[in-house]
This record gives sequence, structure tokens and C-alpha cells, in this order.
Amino acid sequence: MAAPIPMPIEAALPGDGLLRLTQWLSPGFPVSAYAYSHGLEAAMEAGEVTDAASLSLWIEGVLRAGAGRNDAILLGRAMAGEDPASLAEHAEALAGSAERWEETRNQGAALARTLTAMGHPVPPLPYPVALGVAAAGLAVPAETVARLMLHAFAANLVSAGVRFIPLGQSQGQAVLAGLHGAVAEVAAKAAGATLDDLGGAAFGADLAAMIHERLEVRLFRS
Amino acid sequence: MFDATSTATGLQRTRGRARVAMADGRLTYLHQEGAAKAMLPRMHGRWPEVVFLNTSGGITGGDRLDYALDLAPGSRAVGTTQTAERAYRAAGGVGWVRTRLTLGAGAELHWLPQELILFDGAALERDLQVEMAADATLVMLETLVLGRMAMGETLTDLHLRDRRAVRRGGRLVLLEPVRMDAADLMRPGTAGLNGARALASLSLIAPDAVDRLAGLRRVLPADGVRAAASVWGGRLTARLVSADAFALRRCVARAVTFLTRQPLPRVWQI
Repeated sequence: MAAPIPMPIEAALPGDGLLRLTQWLSPGFPVSAYAYSHGLEAAMEAGEVTDAASLSLWIEGVLRAGAGRNDAILLGRAMAGEDPASLAEHAEALAGSAERWEETRNQGAALARTLTAMGHPVPPLPYPVALGVAAAGLAVPAETVARLMLHAFAANLVSAGVRFIPLGQSQGQAVLAGLHGAVAEVAAKAAGATLDDLGGAAFGADLAAMIHERLEVRLFRS
Repeated sequence: MFDATSTATGLQRTRGRARVAMADGRLTYLHQEGAAKAMLPRMHGRWPEVVFLNTSGGITGGDRLDYALDLAPGSRAVGTTQTAERAYRAAGGVGWVRTRLTLGAGAELHWLPQELILFDGAALERDLQVEMAADATLVMLETLVLGRMAMGETLTDLHLRDRRAVRRGGRLVLLEPVRMDAADLMRPGTAGLNGARALASLSLIAPDAVDRLAGLRRVLPADGVRAAASVWGGRLTARLVSADAFALRRCVARAVTFLTRQPLPRVWQI
């Protein structure tokens, strides 16, 4: 009897691309996103972020002029098929601090591990690069993937603020809803960007990420 | 590319190119063209110091300046600038400064330019690229000052692309592309400028970078300056920000002295 014809992985996995992405980017997907604050914990500890308004501004700054924008560019380049090893080098050289590098490296490795175990093989790469490689075959536009990734990033930071400040759950959700415009704009601009467009001006957030390494009591790994 | 002919606006634009190569503490190549100069003052036992200078007195839209410094294997030098560089309001076009540094095997370069002072309305694109051998040592400083302190100037308009990239043994180990426009100057919240008027980034890329972190952290604290440091990817980077450019400069000077284990460049005035 002839061996069965192997089924392509894509066909073997149920669900459409958008649903798969929604699953990968949900808070329940095991990349331990909740363990990282991207330096926000240090900004909250220093009294720079103390309420819903200051939290919203901090996250918007990181989305527009920090890792949000750069990660969206790296994601787009990975989806376009640019060399993942080179993109990973860029991600590390850009990371901004030891903990921020661990944040993107560890989450990317966890994403790759889980997807590989689910039959969708992805090599360990910094988070936006791993996600871009994984999402390249989903037939979902890069801008949509960037929107969902940035939304998940913002939601995770809101959640860190809600737990630390603390804020009420509905206050947190209102902050997140207020960031949708920034998420959509950053994703739209990143869609056509190249590596020459990488850059930023999130000086406060970059400094907070370094200061975080030396906090005596830390709830978050970054 | 470097002809000094008039542009469409009829204004004379600055062109300049200065290229220097060093081996065994001696100059092996010098090329100067237009407004860019390189000087090597006698150092009397200290490390050779290459001092770059833009004789036009500042950068404005349409200017093009090109600097290069090459260190042969095993050689060491300090690279700096004669004064703070000024980026004036650009009437039209973007000023452009390109710097290329190369470090051969075992070479050590302390790249310590003075501040870049950005005037309101400045439009500048800088590109610093370093290629270093895997076992070379680089100390690298970049300082931005937003507005003229003495005039209490607050910037409201700016176009800045300030890309700094270091490749070590062919691998990209440092990428620090500052990208600042009017929106970044005005954006409220504490993730961005947060009141900073002077910003410095100081890095050490060297085989012993990890071992220098604790010592660097000890010299960073200073009144009126927020500073911190971290090590990743074989690179040590400190960031310093302040509302006061003079306070920042004093703090930067201490950190530079610690990392280089040398006196400050002679042209620096603290």
C-alpha cells in the first residue's frame, strides 16, 4: 500500500489566518507577556506614571516613537521575506537595555516554541521577527498583523499599569480604547517602511528600561 | 557631488570632506577638502588626538560634510571635534553629515565629538557608521542639545535623523537611530523628552565591556542628571539626560574619563 500523501501544514491546521493570529496574540498564548513591563514599572515607581492619563501618554509615546514603531517595521520586513538573521541582529542592536533585549528574545523564543509544537515550525527569533516569519504564510496583510501586534503590546502595558498603579479594570479598558488611533496610525506607516526608517525618540522610556534593572523590588522582568 | 556650485535657491552651500588614517600613532593619510578640516595637535606623550573641524561654523539645509577616520591594526587614537557643532534653522533642504570610522584588529578609538546643538527649525541627517575588528575597542559618545541654552530657546520645529551604527567583526552590535520631529518635541508624557534639553549616549564596545558596568554605574549619579547603564550583546551603553546641558557635560566627562582611562580630549572645556 502506498504511503499516504503528507498533508501541507497549512491545510492541516484548522481556522483562517485572522483567527490564528488572534490566538497567537491573545494574552493566554504562552509567551509570558504579563511578566514584562518594557520599563513602565520603573516609570511608575519613579512617579512619572501615576494615573490613567499619564499611563496613556507613556504607552502612546512608546508606540509612536519607541519599540512599538520599530517592532512594527521589523515585523513588516520579516513578513516581506527579509533575512530573519539580519533582522534579529537589528532587533538586538536596537533593544535599548539588557532587560528589553530579554523581553523580545524570550517572548520570541516562546512564540516559536509554541507554534512549532502546534505544527507551525518557526525558528527562535526576537518577537516581532518570529511573529513576522510565522504570519508570512497566513494571507493576512502586514498592516493588519502590525495592528494586532501593537494592540497586544499596548494591552499588555495597560494591564501592567492596572496592576501596579492600580487602576480599575474599566479605566484600563478605556485607556486601551483611547490608544486604538495610535495603534492604527503606527501600523499604517510601518507597513511601507524599510530598515532605514528604524529610529525613535523615546528617551524617557529607554532610560526607564535601564533604571528598571536596579530597582530593589520588581514585579516585572523589564 | 562635492562641487560648491550654487543650488537652485541661489545660496552657496557648504561642502567638506576630511579623511584621516593613522598607524602606530602617526598620520598615514590626510585628505581635506572644502570646509572640513582635520588637525593633529602635538600631544606630548598622550594618545594622538584627531580634531575634526567644520570651518563654516555650523550646518544648515543643503550642507554636506563627510568625515572619516581609519585606525590601522594595533593603533590607538582619540577622535573629537574642535567645538560643539551647530545645526542652524534650515531655510530649505536638509543638512547632511556622514562619518565613517574603521578600527583594525586590536585598535582602540575613543570617539568623543563635542555636542551637536540643534537650533529651532534645524533640518539635519547624520549617519555615523563604525566598522571594527572583533577584538578592537571603541568608546563612543554622542550628545544632543536642544536649543541654545543661554537664550533659553525651546525648540518647536525640527527634522533630525541621527543614525549611529556599529558593526563588530561584521555583526551589527549597536544601532541607535535618533529620529526626532516637531511631534516628538511637543508630545506630552514621560516616555519621550520629559523635559530633557540635553541627551547623551555613551557606549563601550570591547572584550571587557561587561566588567565595566558596575564601575560606570558608580560614576554616573549627579545632581540634575538622570542616567543609567546596561550591558547586552557585548556592549555597554549609558544614557544621560538633563534639563541643563552644563550639568550633563560634567557628568558625561566623568563617565568618559572612567571608560577611556585617559584625560579628556584637550579641546574639551569643562
